[in-house]
Amino acid sequence: MSRIVIDNVEAGYGSVRVLHGVSVSVDSGETVVLLGTNGNGKSTLINCIMGIVAPSAGSITYETDDGEKIELVGKTPQDVVELGITLVPEGRRLFPGLTVSENLMLGAYRDSARRRIAANLEFAFEAFPVLAERRRQLAGSMSGGEQQMLAIARALMSEPRILLIDEPSVGLAPILVSRVIAKIKELKEQRNLTVLMAEQNFNQAIKIADRGYIIVHGTIAFAAASAADLSENEMVKQYYLGA
Amino acid sequence: MFTIDLLLNALVAGVLLGGFYAAVSLGLTVSFGQLNIVNIAHPAFIILGSYIAYMCNSLWGLDPILVGIIFIPVFFLIGAGAYRLYYESFERKDDEALRGLAFFFGVMFIIEVGLIMVYGVDFRSVQASYIGQNLRVGGVGVPTRMLVPFCVAVAMFSAVYLYMSRTFNGRAIKAVAQDRLALQLMAADPVKIKQLGFGISIGTAALAGALLIIIIPVEPSVGRLYIGQVFAIAVLAGLGSIPGTLVAGIVLGIAESLVSTFFGPSWAPAVAFGILLLALAFRPQGLFGR
Repeated sequence: MSRIVIDNVEAGYGSVRVLHGVSVSVDSGETVVLLGTNGNGKSTLINCIMGIVAPSAGSITYETDDGEKIELVGKTPQDVVELGITLVPEGRRLFPGLTVSENLMLGAYRDSARRRIAANLEFAFEAFPVLAERRRQLAGSMSGGEQQMLAIARALMSEPRILLIDEPSVGLAPILVSRVIAKIKELKEQRNLTVLMAEQNFNQAIKIADRGYIIVHGTIAFAAASAADLSENEMVKQYYLGA
Repeated sequence: MFTIDLLLNALVAGVLLGGFYAAVSLGLTVSFGQLNIVNIAHPAFIILGSYIAYMCNSLWGLDPILVGIIFIPVFFLIGAGAYRLYYESFERKDDEALRGLAFFFGVMFIIEVGLIMVYGVDFRSVQASYIGQNLRVGGVGVPTRMLVPFCVAVAMFSAVYLYMSRTFNGRAIKAVAQDRLALQLMAADPVKIKQLGFGISIGTAALAGALLIIIIPVEPSVGRLYIGQVFAIAVLAGLGSIPGTLVAGIVLGIAESLVSTFFGPSWAPAVAFGILLLALAFRPQGLFGR
C-alpha cells in the first residue's frame, strides 16, 4: 500500500515563511484534495513533495507497496518521479516546441516506464482521442483545455503510483474544467491511481474528493474526513459559497 | 558568359559545398539552438579536429575521415567535461550570459594559440586517395574531394537526427532548454542531459574538422572565417532544427556557388550575410522554425 505522510512541514522562499507546520496524508487509492485560495501554500506543499522546494523542517515520507519507508526531503524532482510520484504541474509546463507525441514520449523517460511506452501511448491516445488526432502538432499551438489533457496524459506515461495535480482548472473555461475533472476521475479508476490534487475551484474539486484539507495562510485550517464534511464546513461556506 | 553546363556545375558544386557547411554548423545547432549554450569556440574545436586529422595523416598516413570518426568519442568527452566546467562555474549561478561568453572566448584562444605554438601559422593539408580526382557526369565535373565529405556529412546528419528523435535522451536534449524543471518532472537530470548534448555537439566537430581539411588547407585561425556562414545557417535553419540545418547549409552553398560562378568569387563572402539579413527580415523563425 503506497502512501505519503507529510508531517509538520515548514517551508518558504528566502525569508518568507509560506508553510507553518503542515501535516497531510494520502493513502493508497484515495483522491485527496487540497483546497485554498491563491497564496495560501497549496503549490508550495506540492512542490515540497516533489523536491522542487526544500522544507526547512518536518518530514515527508513515502511508503512503497513493499512497506519500505523513504524520506522524500532532500531528494531531487527526478528522484521523486523515479520512485513513482508524478506531478501535473501548475500551468501545465509542456514542451511547447515539441510535438504532442514527443511530449508524451518524454513522459515515459522514467526507467521503469520505458519498456511499456508503446502500450501506454496507446492508452493515452484512447483516453484522449484529441491527442491522437494532433499527435504531430506542436504542444504550444494547442488550446488550453487540450494542453491540460496533454499534461495529464504525459504524467500518466510515467506509470505513477501517486499522481499529484496542481490547479488543473487554472486558465480554463468552466465547461472545460468540468471535463478535465471528469477525466481525472475516470482515469483514476481505470489506472487504480492515488491522487492528491491542489485546487481553488471548490465546486469542481468536491466532485472527485474522497476527503480533503483546507489550507489557510500556510496551516491546515480544517481536515475533512469525507467530501460531505468538506461541503458542510462553515469555513468553506464562508470562503467559497459566500454564506 | 552563361551556359547550362556552367549552371549545372555551379549547382553541383553548391550542393556539395552546402553539405560541408551544414556539417560545420550541426554542432552549433545542437549547442546554440537546442541547449541554449552560445559556444563561440565551436569553430576552434573544428580546427582542432582538422589538425588532429592532419597529424595522424602526416605521421601515420591514416585516412582523415577515419581519424575524424575515431576522435568523435574523445571530443565527446572533452565536450562533456567543458560543459561540466561551464555549468559549475557559470550556468548554476545564472551567470552564463556574459561570463559564459567570455569562457568560450577563452577556450577559443587557448585552442588557437596552442595550435600556433605547435604547428605555426602555415596552412596544412592532408593526403588521401580521393583528393585530386574528378568524376565526370555528362558535362558536370564532380570533384571527389567534395563528394566524399558531402556523403560523410549526410551520414553524420542522419545519425544525429535519428538519435535526437528516436531515443529517450535525444528527445530530452531537444526539450531541456524549453523547460528545465518540466524535464526534471519527467525523471531526467537536466545537467546530465545538457552534458550529453554538448558532448555530441563537440563530437561532431572532430569529424567536421576532418572534412574541412580534406576540402581546403587549414591554419589555426581559419575558423573565424566561417563564423558568418555558420551563423547564417543557424538562423536560416530555425534555431535547433537539424533537418533545417542541412537544408540551410545546402541553400547557402548553392547561393555562394552561383554568385561566385556568375559574379566572381570576391562576392561569395557577401552571400552569407545577405542571406542572414534576408532571413532576419522576412522569416526570422527560419525555414524550419516553429
